[in-house]
Amino acid sequence: MIESKKVRDAMVDVFGFPHIPHWFTIKQAMGIIKKSFVEAEKCVFPQVVLVFDEKYNLMGTFTPRDIIKGLEPKLKHVTIKDAEIAYINENALASFEANLFSSQSKELAGKPVSEIMIPAKTFVLPEDTVLKAAFLMVHNNLVVLPVLENKKLVGVVRMLEAFDEISNIVLE
Amino acid sequence: MEKLINREDSQKLYVQLFNILRGKIEAGEWIVDSQIPTEEELCKVYDISKATVRLAIADLARQGYLKRQQGKGTFVCKRIIPEGISMLTSFKENMLEAGVQFSTKVLAQTSVMPIDDIDIKLNIPEDKHIIYIKRLRLVDEDPVLLQETYIPHQICPPLLEDDLENNSIHELLEKKYGIKITRVQGYISTIYLNNDEGMLLGLQEGSCALLLEQYFYSGDSQITYTRSVKRSDRFRFFIELERK
Repeated sequence: MIESKKVRDAMVDVFGFPHIPHWFTIKQAMGIIKKSFVEAEKCVFPQVVLVFDEKYNLMGTFTPRDIIKGLEPKLKHVTIKDAEIAYINENALASFEANLFSSQSKELAGKPVSEIMIPAKTFVLPEDTVLKAAFLMVHNNLVVLPVLENKKLVGVVRMLEAFDEISNIVLE
Repeated sequence: MEKLINREDSQKLYVQLFNILRGKIEAGEWIVDSQIPTEEELCKVYDISKATVRLAIADLARQGYLKRQQGKGTFVCKRIIPEGISMLTSFKENMLEAGVQFSTKVLAQTSVMPIDDIDIKLNIPEDKHIIYIKRLRLVDEDPVLLQETYIPHQICPPLLEDDLENNSIHELLEKKYGIKITRVQGYISTIYLNNDEGMLLGLQEGSCALLLEQYFYSGDSQITYTRSVKRSDRFRFFIELERK
């Protein structure tokens, strides 16, 4: 059996990422992302925001990409056909672009972030292996995986840590 | 002629900038409701760092000269002149009924990033985490006071886990964590309740209430900003002056 590093030794501090409560609006979240990642020019990877409830329990996460998707209903249901038209036909692309992020997006920005976040349903414990964390992250398409101890968030594992551990094993 | 920062002066740079900007407001050069230059513009004009500009603006906001609107900029306020009570020795707030017992409901005890002008009120960078505590205080099941407290996370991280239903935040800071409060600035005003405040205090939206804003310091460091909305029919303030 392959010996893998424990999550405890690979996880990173949650305070490296912005925290917001679930009742903040998407608009407020956009301001926070700008301050935390854009204006601060911080190289934080991944650029993820953690969403908490009133008792500081993690509810979910979101990235700038989730916000953009949440602001434009068309992006939720872009079909291959839409994409092909946009790619092939310049006129269709222009009309598609003209209707993107319209006044409806401003209305949607007033919604709470709980509506666009990715709910936190998958966790690991500090004593779990990084391999298990890597599997869960890839299987569930997650950018970070929360680490819980006594039901409290104590850290997160990023894909970078998971990749590092796997590459150590494979390249050994 | 534009007054500039004097680097030979022993006065701190942000204090010099504070005085320059305050002068512009008091002289009417920057009129009420006008937008002041951005932090970047002020950095260029006075050849100082963004941190220095932020400190000066934070102090001007705290003293009621400026207000910051998220996404819009910083504006000159119609200033409410504080009463100069230099002999103040005692200030208490009392319930109108004597000897009543409060109970407390913790509505939120979580971590947030600063929004609106909270970073200025706490004198911290915009991207720093804050512990946010929202409590409703009740007398005989009647809500009388809604209190929101903001504390820079690095001041006292364990506060996120403490029992705040049965403990005072400032007592915990002093007795459990050894953070001695040395100064408190308070501002009392009246406000109209918003929908959330009205609902929680059992009053209609738009009802009048008392607002007590308090800035707590430990030495030179600001440790908390507290916003207490009180039912005006249940509280009174008591000020005692004693000539020394």
